Amino acid sequence: MSSEPAVQTITSGAQRTNVPVVTVGAFYERHAKKLQLKLEGGRGGLERRIREPTINRPGLALAGFYAYFAEKRVQVLGAAEQSYLKNLTRPQRRRRFRALCQAKIPCLVVSRGFHLPPDLLAIVEEAGVAVFRTPMITMKFINAATIALEYDFSPTVTEFGSMVDILGIGVLIRGASGVGKSECVLGLIERGYSLVSDDVTRVKSLEGRELMATAPDVTRYHMEVRGIGIINVVSVFGIGAIRIEKRVDLVVTLKDWQELEEVDRIGLDREFYEILKIQVPHITIPVRPGRDIARLIEVAAMDQKLKGLGLNSALEFNNKLISLMEAQGS
Amino acid sequence: MGLLNRRSAADSVEKLEKEMTIINRLGLHARPAAMFVRVASRHRCDIWVAKEGEEISGKSIMGLMMLAAGQGSKLHIRAEGPDAAQALQEIEQLIQSRFNED
Repeated sequence: MSSEPAVQTITSGAQRTNVPVVTVGAFYERHAKKLQLKLEGGRGGLERRIREPTINRPGLALAGFYAYFAEKRVQVLGAAEQSYLKNLTRPQRRRRFRALCQAKIPCLVVSRGFHLPPDLLAIVEEAGVAVFRTPMITMKFINAATIALEYDFSPTVTEFGSMVDILGIGVLIRGASGVGKSECVLGLIERGYSLVSDDVTRVKSLEGRELMATAPDVTRYHMEVRGIGIINVVSVFGIGAIRIEKRVDLVVTLKDWQELEEVDRIGLDREFYEILKIQVPHITIPVRPGRDIARLIEVAAMDQKLKGLGLNSALEFNNKLISLMEAQGS
Repeated sequence: MGLLNRRSAADSVEKLEKEMTIINRLGLHARPAAMFVRVASRHRCDIWVAKEGEEISGKSIMGLMMLAAGQGSKLHIRAEGPDAAQALQEIEQLIQSRFNED
C-alpha cells in the first residue's frame, strides 16, 4: 500500500564517543556497597585496569590450563574454586595460586563470605593483586557485577540539548541556541515535569539497547535562563522538579519557522535520531513567536507514549479514512 | 490617484473554478491531503474545495480529509485571488499526477 510510512534517520553530530577507563579502585569505590565488597588485601593492585566488562571464574586456570584464559576480566573464586584449592597439597596450591596472580588479571573476588588463607593472602600482596570479599552467592554476585561493569564501560557522548522527563517519557530537546530551549524547559517544569539536564546532556548507551541521559556533574540541577541568569531548579521549584537520569525515548528538534521548508503535517512518516548507534524517534517542531512550545512538546511526548503502546494515531486515522473511501466507491 | 490604482488592482482579482476528479487508487487520504495543502498554501488566493454540496478551505488538511474523496470523486475547486489561475493549474497537476502514488 502506498500509504506505508516512510522512515528517515538523522545521525547525531556528536562525535566524541569515549569508552571510559575503569580501574579496580574506581570499580570498588562505585559499587562496594551494592556488591557488598570488602578489600581483603593487595591494596597495591587498586590501580590496575579492568579491561573487559565482565567476570571470569578461573577454575581451569587453577587446574593449570591457561589457553584462552580470560585475564582481562574480574576473577571470581566461588565455592567450586575454593574447594578445589583446598583439595590440593599446600605447595601445589601455592604454586597454582601464584600462577593465577602472576597473570595480568585486574583483581580477585572471593564470594560466599570466605576468607583467603594467610599463605594465599601473602601471595596476593606480593603480586600486587587486590582481593575483595563478598558475602554474596557467586551467581548473584556475577549477575550484579556484570550489570555494574556494563554501566561503567558504556560509551558516552555529550549532546547539546536539554533533557526532560514528561510523564515517564524522556525527551531530549535540541535546537540552535536562542531558539527558546530553556524557556520551553521552564514551561515544562512549571507544568510539573522533571528536569534531567539543561542545555548539555550526557548520553550513555546501555549495552547498545537503550540510551540513558544524565546531567554533567557541574551543571546538575541548574539552568541558565536568558535575562535571569543561573537558577537552581531544586531551590526554585522543589525536589520534584528534577530527576537524576532518564532513558531517552524521544528527540525533539526546535527549528525557526522560517528555516523550515516543509513541515510534517500528518505524522505518518517516522523519523529517527541516532545516538551511539541507537535510533530514537524524532520530530521537528517549528518555533514561532506566540506558539506554546512547551505544550506542543508535552503533547508530542504523550503521543509517543501512545505509540509505545502500539497506537499510532495518524496511521489509524488514515487507515480508517481509506477504508471509508473504499466503501463509498464500491 | 493611489486610491484609484488600488481599486483597479482589486478589480483584477481572478475568480476561477474547475471540476476535478480524484484518480489515485486510495483517494484523498492524509498524505495527498497534506500535499494538496502544501501546494494551496503556497498561493495567496483563497481556495475552496467542494464535494457533494460540502465546501471547505483547500488550505485545511482536516477539512480535505473530512470530504473523504475516494477514487472517482468529483471535486469542485474555486480559487479567488491574484494567483488563482496558477493555483488551479498546480492543483490539477497534482491530482493528475496521482499524488505520486499508485
